[in-house]
Amino acid sequence: MDPPSLMPRLPEMCRFPMLGMPPPELVPRVGRIGGDASVEESTVTEQCGGSKGRRRRRDPPSSGGATEDESSKFVSTSSGNELAEAEAKRLKAIKSTDGNDNIKSEAEASSGICNKLAAQNPQTTEPPKQDYIHVRARRGQATDSHSLSERARREKISERMKILQDLVPGCNKVIGKASVLDEIINYIQALQHQVEFLSMKLEAVNSPMNTTIEVFPSKDFSSQRYDTTSSLAYSSQTREYEQGSGTEWLHMQVGGAFERVT
Amino acid sequence: MESKSSDENCNNPNSELHPSKLIMASHFLRALFRIQHTTTDSSFAGRSRKIRRAAYASMAYSVGTKRAWSSALLRKLRSRSRLRFPNPRRAKYAALPGRPRVARPQQREMDQAEALRELVPGGTSMDDCRLLEETADYIRCLSTQVRLMQAIMESVSF
Repeated sequence: MDPPSLMPRLPEMCRFPMLGMPPPELVPRVGRIGGDASVEESTVTEQCGGSKGRRRRRDPPSSGGATEDESSKFVSTSSGNELAEAEAKRLKAIKSTDGNDNIKSEAEASSGICNKLAAQNPQTTEPPKQDYIHVRARRGQATDSHSLSERARREKISERMKILQDLVPGCNKVIGKASVLDEIINYIQALQHQVEFLSMKLEAVNSPMNTTIEVFPSKDFSSQRYDTTSSLAYSSQTREYEQGSGTEWLHMQVGGAFERVT
Repeated sequence: MESKSSDENCNNPNSELHPSKLIMASHFLRALFRIQHTTTDSSFAGRSRKIRRAAYASMAYSVGTKRAWSSALLRKLRSRSRLRFPNPRRAKYAALPGRPRVARPQQREMDQAEALRELVPGGTSMDDCRLLEETADYIRCLSTQVRLMQAIMESVSF
């Protein structure tokens, strides 16, 4: 039940970089229950960072069993990665899903879990000290601000992507950052092509204003213009077609007044 | 900054923050008149290039230096007018030769970010966050410019 709902959340948490922590610093912190929230939250994220690459391995064993059993099993196998993921998943299970970005509540939950684990398996923390330090490590302020700033940065980026999605027509239907970026790139290219095309049109229309031949080209242009506006803003084929036919029409009419330099 | 004029479809309050169509129109029309009166005997392609450059210049000029893309665009236009380079923009759109397109999501995103950086003026010296912001503003101004030019076409030819 938990793993499938929690899996999509894990990447979000497990992107934090893993920083090594000196061993003696961490053990005394484990017992602290309501201590530094900021310190405790670093534990989870740090271990998550460490276990990022090894998440997949965790899935089959985690499908069954209570969380305590999982934790004890992973503790006994002395792999900090799995315990990290177990802790992360327990965090998600305890917290409600909406407040996921609230690090404080994560920290409290993690502190509760860590203390439970510490109570149950005090001896197992000692031997795999290198791994479990990441598991139960209380992150220092450095990691704290690092992951915090990275999370803030990612939120800013997603917020701006939403603004861009609103700007570009037809981007709401696409899901996924890459496709949205593709659409944005296409849209900008199309807009730039349209500026070029319109500048050619403007030039072609403005010059015969000095002469008397302005009615015929304008009629043709107006029909073509409606084609441009009605079709998708970035369908370059129709635009190029109109571009070519419009200038050729003028060639016919004015008779060589425009020299098309290719 | 003034908000868009009411006849535009404002579907997003975020899109209000760019120069009004009137300011861009005044700059662009002034440039158009200047082109029409001064370069009466140049070639067709040369005049359309001038008009296109005037479109970008008036767009960037209306925004001023509040945005990174507008300052970069103004700088590029002024330097280009001195150096008289042909527009190498088309070459940039193609994929870089010699770089295999890896289907990994990170590589694809990096390719897209680079493509976006080449499209938006001044984008090469920006981080992703800033790039997206500038892209949004650039899209707003570009679409306003396009609508402005279409309106001019409409008013001139009927």
